[in-house]
Amino acid sequence: MGKVIVITSGKGGVGKTTTTANLGTGLAALGKKVCLVDTDIGLRNLDVVLGLENRIVYDLLDVVEGNCRVKQALIKDKQFGENLVLLPAAQTREKDAVKPEQMKLLTEQLKEEYDFVILDSPAGIEHGFKNAIAGADLAVVITTPEISAVRDADRIIGLLEAAELYDSQLIINRVRADMVRKGDMMDIDDIDDILAISILGVVPDDEDIIVSTNKGVPIVTERKSRSGLAYRNIARRILGEEVPLMDLHEKSVMNWLRRVLSVEGQ
Amino acid sequence: MNNELCAIKGSSEGLVITINDAEQFPKVLESLKRHLSSAQSFFRGSSAKLALKRGALTEKQLNEVEQLIAEFGMILDPEPPKARTFSDEAHKVAEAESVYPPNDNTLLVRRTIRSGQRLHYDGNVVVMGDVNAGAEIVCSGDILVMGSLRGVAHAGAEGNDEAIVFAFRLEPTQLRIAHLISRAPDGKLPEPEGPEIARVVGNIIQLSTYN
Repeated sequence: MGKVIVITSGKGGVGKTTTTANLGTGLAALGKKVCLVDTDIGLRNLDVVLGLENRIVYDLLDVVEGNCRVKQALIKDKQFGENLVLLPAAQTREKDAVKPEQMKLLTEQLKEEYDFVILDSPAGIEHGFKNAIAGADLAVVITTPEISAVRDADRIIGLLEAAELYDSQLIINRVRADMVRKGDMMDIDDIDDILAISILGVVPDDEDIIVSTNKGVPIVTERKSRSGLAYRNIARRILGEEVPLMDLHEKSVMNWLRRVLSVEGQ
Repeated sequence: MNNELCAIKGSSEGLVITINDAEQFPKVLESLKRHLSSAQSFFRGSSAKLALKRGALTEKQLNEVEQLIAEFGMILDPEPPKARTFSDEAHKVAEAESVYPPNDNTLLVRRTIRSGQRLHYDGNVVVMGDVNAGAEIVCSGDILVMGSLRGVAHAGAEGNDEAIVFAFRLEPTQLRIAHLISRAPDGKLPEPEGPEIARVVGNIIQLSTYN
């Protein structure tokens, strides 16, 4: 029996879809069977980020409404094939076309087959969000070091708790060490102080992400990329790797910080 | 009035004779007699219930009370008044003596109150955790936060300006006590160095270090 993880944030544009794509790909690269589900009905993106848009025949709504079998709607990834599949969202419908109970049934079905079912939640706290969290075992909350994103993350954590999803984990995305150092950006401690949930990872701001998104190839497979490394580390932590969580994250951040500092010092 | 050994009051249930201390029964009887004779005809024909605040009456003492009020044309209703009447009475007395504390109810919250969550309570609130920005606590008594208070806190919401707000780190979006509202000045503030307490001084909400 697999695990259902929902990737959510409240605020839009903080990197839910990018995280879903990279975490999923990272887990597949570590040999796990992963199913990604785009629950952002009407505004689907995950297929684009994975470069699979042109292969969509059936979508989540077709599955829920019984127009096709689950297997028929799942799209195999270009690199990992059967070990990484995508269930795309419907683009021409609206969020309330699916009910939370239906999502629960769907995820229960999917986790029989896959080690990880990762749901990409839409922004907001309305129907789409409720659908996305309905069948989840674990929530990963994404934020950026901006006060508005942190505020929304706090709201989301409260709503997750109300839905009995405790132990949510946090990913802090788009951290810029140079700005943190100058005091122009909230640092990890500031955010940790407010949200007070365990930190799953910290991803540095990286313009290569934009390039990789446009190419439809998740950055996690880029060996040299710093943000790719951050996502690989996150995937390992999800698997419960022995290395203590905070140390690992500190190490990656510190290395990266040191590198930035030494370059600037020259 | 509180020193009186007994009192007669009209309530929704009719007349209620309250005996404050049954242990001084002879004096109680005397006091009751005084009360009744001061308004002789006023009570005639009505029935009264008996409420005891302290101590207990023996059957004989009860008979004596019954006899006494019968002399003034009243009947003793054997049903005791509803407990509510009694405690309300006691409450009012306590209130007259001191407005503060408003009541003894205290809610203990053992988690962080997050953005979008509202807590309303009639009494005091103690939070073992943080109150984050975007969260709101409104209560009739005091607010104690064993953590950071970053949201909105309204103590003494029913008008008690003796209510206080205490936090290990007091950096609220807005503080309200009774009818007063205050907010942090714009711009960056020095971080609080330790626990602080907010209370009404004069007509403003004042923060001070808690020792």
